Amino acid sequence: MAKQIITLTVNGDEHEIAVAPYQTLLEVLRDDLALTGTKRGCTAGSCGVCTVNGEKGEAVLSCCALAVEWDGRSLTTVEGVQEGNDLHPVQQKFLEYGAVQCGFCTPGLIMSAKALLDVNTSPSEKDINEAMAGAICRCTGHIKVKIAIREAAKVLREREGGVADGQA
Amino acid sequence: MARPKEDLAVVGKNWARLDGTDKVSGRSIFADDVRLPGMLFGKVVRSPHPHARILNIDTSKAEALPGVKAVVTPEDAKGIYIGINQPLLPTGNVNHVGHEVVGIAATSERIAAKAAGLVEIEYELLPDLTDLRDAIKPDAVQLHEKAKGNIGWEVAQDFGDPDAAFAACDVIHEDEFITNATHNCYAEYHVCVSDFSKAGKLVVYTPTQSAILFQKTIAAAFKMDESDVRMLTLNTGGGFTGRTSARPHHFISALLSRKAGRPVRLRAAGDEEFIMCRAGGEVVYKLKSGATKDGVLKVLEVDLLFDTGAYIESQMIVTTLTSKYLGALYPIEASRYRGRLIHTNHMPYYFHHGGGLAQFQFALGQHMDELAHKLGMDSVQFSLLNGVEEGYTTPDGTTTYHSCGLKECIEKTADLAGWKDKYGKLPKYKGIGLGIGAMASGAKGLFKHDTSAAMIQVNTDGKASLFIGLPDMGQSSHTTMAIIAAEVLGISPEDIRVVSGDTDTDPFDVGAFTQRGTFNTGNATKNAALDARDQLSGRAASLLECEEADLVWRHHQVYSKQNPDNKIAFRKVVDETLNSMEGRFVMGRGYYNSPLKKGSMAFSFGAQIAEVTVDPGTGVVTVDKMTASHDVGRAINPRVVEGQIDGQIFSGMSQVLYEETIMEDGQVMNPSRLDYKMPRAYEMPEVDHIIVESIDPNGPFGAKEVGEGPIVCTMQAIANAVANAIGARVHEMPLAPWRVLRVANNAEQLAEQDAASKRKAVAGE
Repeated sequence: MAKQIITLTVNGDEHEIAVAPYQTLLEVLRDDLALTGTKRGCTAGSCGVCTVNGEKGEAVLSCCALAVEWDGRSLTTVEGVQEGNDLHPVQQKFLEYGAVQCGFCTPGLIMSAKALLDVNTSPSEKDINEAMAGAICRCTGHIKVKIAIREAAKVLREREGGVADGQA
Repeated sequence: MARPKEDLAVVGKNWARLDGTDKVSGRSIFADDVRLPGMLFGKVVRSPHPHARILNIDTSKAEALPGVKAVVTPEDAKGIYIGINQPLLPTGNVNHVGHEVVGIAATSERIAAKAAGLVEIEYELLPDLTDLRDAIKPDAVQLHEKAKGNIGWEVAQDFGDPDAAFAACDVIHEDEFITNATHNCYAEYHVCVSDFSKAGKLVVYTPTQSAILFQKTIAAAFKMDESDVRMLTLNTGGGFTGRTSARPHHFISALLSRKAGRPVRLRAAGDEEFIMCRAGGEVVYKLKSGATKDGVLKVLEVDLLFDTGAYIESQMIVTTLTSKYLGALYPIEASRYRGRLIHTNHMPYYFHHGGGLAQFQFALGQHMDELAHKLGMDSVQFSLLNGVEEGYTTPDGTTTYHSCGLKECIEKTADLAGWKDKYGKLPKYKGIGLGIGAMASGAKGLFKHDTSAAMIQVNTDGKASLFIGLPDMGQSSHTTMAIIAAEVLGISPEDIRVVSGDTDTDPFDVGAFTQRGTFNTGNATKNAALDARDQLSGRAASLLECEEADLVWRHHQVYSKQNPDNKIAFRKVVDETLNSMEGRFVMGRGYYNSPLKKGSMAFSFGAQIAEVTVDPGTGVVTVDKMTASHDVGRAINPRVVEGQIDGQIFSGMSQVLYEETIMEDGQVMNPSRLDYKMPRAYEMPEVDHIIVESIDPNGPFGAKEVGEGPIVCTMQAIANAVANAIGARVHEMPLAPWRVLRVANNAEQLAEQDAASKRKAVAGE
């Protein structure tokens, strides 16, 4: 099958890549761009380790997205979350609150959490559960993950300024 | 017994894991991220049949496909065995669905998969055994010549005189439980990159719990010296007792690499994960116990049947270990144990999280709950009356408990969970249950030793590199070791770089299983740090003009306890030790091996209480709350200890309520992360932790383990709570909704019949 040249912007960098029609976004990120922070798991959309954020910050399962559909679009991977030399609050709180164990699902969890907090800095328990429902984490039992998300939300609310703290 | 606590500066505080920044930033490298020049991609052709004779293998079409660089068949693998009786690729019969027959390496995964489709294998189907109950029948097909009656391995062991002990008992209870086949479900799928391109040298990148064991078995398979097999562990995406030994894909990728002369990556593709990696098989537990009428447990009889699948690998260890645990929780007078590994045409089984012991406790904990009821007690009363205490020696005489917080755990958990206010007083379909457990720190017996070693080099900037061979598959053990070394040297864990994951430079370490890391590698690390400190003491004492014995190492400084105001910087001591006439470069060495001949130097203990709600319409069990108390000796890094407890509660809950590899005619019916059920964020209950510190005299700073102590409590606690909620017991794990519903409905019917007969009796009919 003939390959097609696509333009894909990842973490702010524009790339021109020749992709076959069957290639997934996950394959392009890992194999063509060497961005191996996005992990390969079930490749069937049920484990969540390949989650990246799309143009609007939404969670996208890169194993189920065809690369050709992403021509001209942009996305963020776990490698693009850091703010300069500093960790993003989600990353910082995952680290601080012990939400990271083996670390294999961590990139997917962080991208799922960030997708939530980008649009909602006062998530309810239900919001968090819903946002993380696509992710499997075998090590942490999700408990410290949820604590880290609530703590990151606090930091983000403070950044927004003026919002009273301590409700979520 | 409370021991005086040492005054510690580093141990016991919450430390973020040292590799955490890399893990949250996507910089951590796992085996699947490895890209080597010229790397090929592997694919395995597997048997679709549970039992069949291979008549012919034709690989010519596959070999002719452009891009295919190597094809290996059973001919290429002759003489290579895995475990006890498994030839790497079968020359005669295939013995399970998914059995590896042919390996292919090509320039892309797609070409390899296409080539796999071109391999033609002719089979003659043979009668199969896909249920261990059929396999033990006298007329069953014999799967292995040496395994008479399909019994692959048998352990039988009595302590004391069980017959006499039963005869003297007032109350005897018998029942039977089943746990079904499972899968480890690590986040990281199975993967191995083997590089045999330099003749006689093999480099292997793969996740593991024990690089040493992998190195040993792979070297033996290829008739090489162990040092010529270099294991690179990198990061391990979860272990859960399932990554303790090398599996077929490790050997097949090496075989392909040797043939092609290029590195080969072989990894699980989707569904394949569920057949190429195996956890526990079905186990049937027959239990019998006896007690006196005052409630004292006297004797225990256990008969276990394990479905070991087509071959025997490490399941022998479970069979043997379980016998050792009969006297771990209760000081019984006598016991009788029999464990048998039964061959079937299922994939060879290994372990799931909890190593067989947590699953055994699912049965034993419920059995004891029932016995307690027969004795007119609740399980908290029963456990407090019968539980072990400090100073107890196990019936085999191998282990004495130098610290034991079991009863403290039970009392604290019961208090916090409000047991007295809830047990027997909850509304229908709400239940509460207790689970208790004991778990060894390390288990000598697999080898003649149980050794961990460590080296530490101290640099003139006051920082140090710690070399260890213990894999960190998420349990934060590398950070734990840095904390231990930092406490000894008086620096911060953040000043320590942990160097590990390469057998060319790692000191020897048996590995991260049998919960030996904190205790064994921790003691080795402590010894190495003490050795390094000793090398600095002379210079420090002369700079401070004091006795070496009076030196205190703390907060990056050294001082004499006689004169705490006169401090010098730690880095200055290191600097002056090297940059001197003596020119000493400080490198500490340490190792630890249990002084026992066999067994474990320490046990940790725990108690968990589960509170559940059962939906009477669907049978779905919701875990509302878990209260967990664990005696870990000392919590080196308390937040990590909590994380271990959380994770094991998750895993125990997952196994007891959800997880099952559903087998039908030898096929896995649910080979995906969607169909193989596990809880997600939604299902997880609130968890209350209580860390009990019994300060073990032999552990590093008093620490024992928290690697599997929690999970042995969880399954039984939840199962007991479900029985409490529905007034009847589900004897089979997982407690899937349909099983719960069936038992609950049956209990309802029986209750109605009881009531009806009572009404009749009252009416005088």
